[in-house]
Amino acid sequence: MIEVWFVLIVTALATSILGVFLVLKGLSMTTDAISHTILLGIVLAFFITQDLRSPWLIIGAGLIGLLTVYLIQVIINTRLIKQDAAIGIVFTALFALAIILVSRYADNVHLDLDVVLMGEVLFAPLNRIEIFGFSVPNALWQLSLLLVINCGFVALFYKELKLSTFDPTYAYIAGFSTTLIYYLLMTLVSITAVTAFDAVGSILVINFFVAPALTAYLLVKRLSHMIWVSFIFAFINSTLGYLAGDHLDVSMSGATSFVAFIVFMLVFLLNPKGFVSTKVKQHNQKKVFARAMILMLMNEDEHRTISRRGIQSHFNLDDKSFKKHIEHLLLNGYVEQNTDGYTLTRRGEEYTHYTRIKYELPAS
Amino acid sequence: MIDVLTSYTFLIVAIGTVILAFACGIVGTVSVIKGQSLIGDAIGHATFPGIIFAFMLVGVMETYTLALGAVIFGIFAFFTIQIITDSSKVTLDSALALILSSFFGLGMALKSYVQGHPGFSGTQGIDDYIFGQAAYMLRTDVYLIIIASVISLLLFMLFYSHIKIYVFDPIFSKSVGVNTGLMNFMILSMTIVLIAVGLKAVGAILIVNLLIAPGVIGLLWSNRFPMVLIIAGFSGAVSAFTGTYVSTVYAGFATGPSIILAMSILVLLSMVFGSKGLLHTHRKRNQGVVS
Repeated sequence: MIEVWFVLIVTALATSILGVFLVLKGLSMTTDAISHTILLGIVLAFFITQDLRSPWLIIGAGLIGLLTVYLIQVIINTRLIKQDAAIGIVFTALFALAIILVSRYADNVHLDLDVVLMGEVLFAPLNRIEIFGFSVPNALWQLSLLLVINCGFVALFYKELKLSTFDPTYAYIAGFSTTLIYYLLMTLVSITAVTAFDAVGSILVINFFVAPALTAYLLVKRLSHMIWVSFIFAFINSTLGYLAGDHLDVSMSGATSFVAFIVFMLVFLLNPKGFVSTKVKQHNQKKVFARAMILMLMNEDEHRTISRRGIQSHFNLDDKSFKKHIEHLLLNGYVEQNTDGYTLTRRGEEYTHYTRIKYELPAS
Repeated sequence: MIDVLTSYTFLIVAIGTVILAFACGIVGTVSVIKGQSLIGDAIGHATFPGIIFAFMLVGVMETYTLALGAVIFGIFAFFTIQIITDSSKVTLDSALALILSSFFGLGMALKSYVQGHPGFSGTQGIDDYIFGQAAYMLRTDVYLIIIASVISLLLFMLFYSHIKIYVFDPIFSKSVGVNTGLMNFMILSMTIVLIAVGLKAVGAILIVNLLIAPGVIGLLWSNRFPMVLIIAGFSGAVSAFTGTYVSTVYAGFATGPSIILAMSILVLLSMVFGSKGLLHTHRKRNQGVVS
């Protein structure tokens, strides 16, 4: 079973390093399209070789992946169809073709659509290969090799990838081909996707590409940091997914994908600059501002002493929020209560002085 | 081959898919023009766990419950996408890919749980919702499609002028009192409902094509919004009919994929021959007319 865990981790690492660039370049849905259309490549290569384990399947799928990217690009270049619509049309057309080919010609052979779609990492250790005298699962060996290739690619072309991601215009002027880098990247994406399809399935592999990278994207700013952090999340996601899948007896790649989503949402909600802290900060700012404005009002000559009704009608406050604000102001000694209503204390006057400076208002 | 046209199964399936494709074509055109057509893809995938959750709760494959589950998950997915893109630097493109795959992953995990669990029986129909198997469509499925499509189209006609302003000039629409948020929500709820009822016919993965392709075809033939809508609706309907016919007559052609292939051929033809297509602009350029 530990081999299953290894396969998941290696898959997650090999995909997420490319995923960083896919996310940054806005190619996530293009990759999704590839992960669907490689089915056509697998099917076509399968018809030729009649063998699901043939390396031709990887080559066929890689070629179809490139064809997908190229087709989308050609359609966008005609300027007849927008990018998102082009992606949607190309991948559905090729995927539909693949399904018809499977159900019409390959129904009696072992090409199970279910396995293609969601993979079955549990079966990965059954398919073994001898390497240097050790027996390792085929998938583990292939994916480890890809991990090395992908990391090598990123290390070798780091500067080029970085430039073409963040400043394609400069990259163009500096004289290296962003198109070449783009197609190299997409070739590796296609090959990684098809190699991983055995283990995690062709639809869920997109999750392995983007989820760790996106989670890292929320946390860090530097490209190199993003790569390392996404490695960490790739490891966490696949480990938790493995445990969940094992414990609940459900599809491991499915579990990993959903765990990845939960991890992303947790980071999204709870990170220091995340959803919750931003909302809390906004809420507090609103409160501070409302109180400062009440004091400013009372600082005006005609509102020296103001009744509860006066403040409420001025700021359109309901009873509850008025009570909360005024209690806070009384407690801090900014205002005092008398028979006619509320007046500013000395401390309150000072506070309004600082408020004017803070919000850059003219002095009274 | 002609007598196929009058057979009961064919009629049921054809009526369902044609009406569905017509409604999807019209509603989908709005998303295509607004450049958010892939939201339909994410929602389509995200409805899948909803189907299985609904099945787990009631224990039978019942059309209305399953559709309700699909709608709930579709809405949930949409709002998650909205929150993520609104309050972080994550782009729509990435958010869609994340939501699509995570929800589908949840669906896959649930599916494997249900199928491995002896407490659930009659699970073999679940796959129909991934790839679509219109041949097994029941009369209730078709009723549901008709109800959803008619309501969507009526709403569309009722708010036609509002939708038109919202599509082409969101800022102006605010100033004349059209609530863009409401319009956006209405279009997306129509999309979600149409996806939910159409899952069995076309499947969760491919249904986005019914929402995109007709609008694209319409836009390749005309610049006028009402004309685009009409062309979109009818090209959807024609493809649905052709696809259903092919899948009934020839073995091994699943209905959903056949419809999508018919639609794709129409897109290709329109790209070449459409009045805004390649041949036409090429000719114009040769004559020196700037379009």
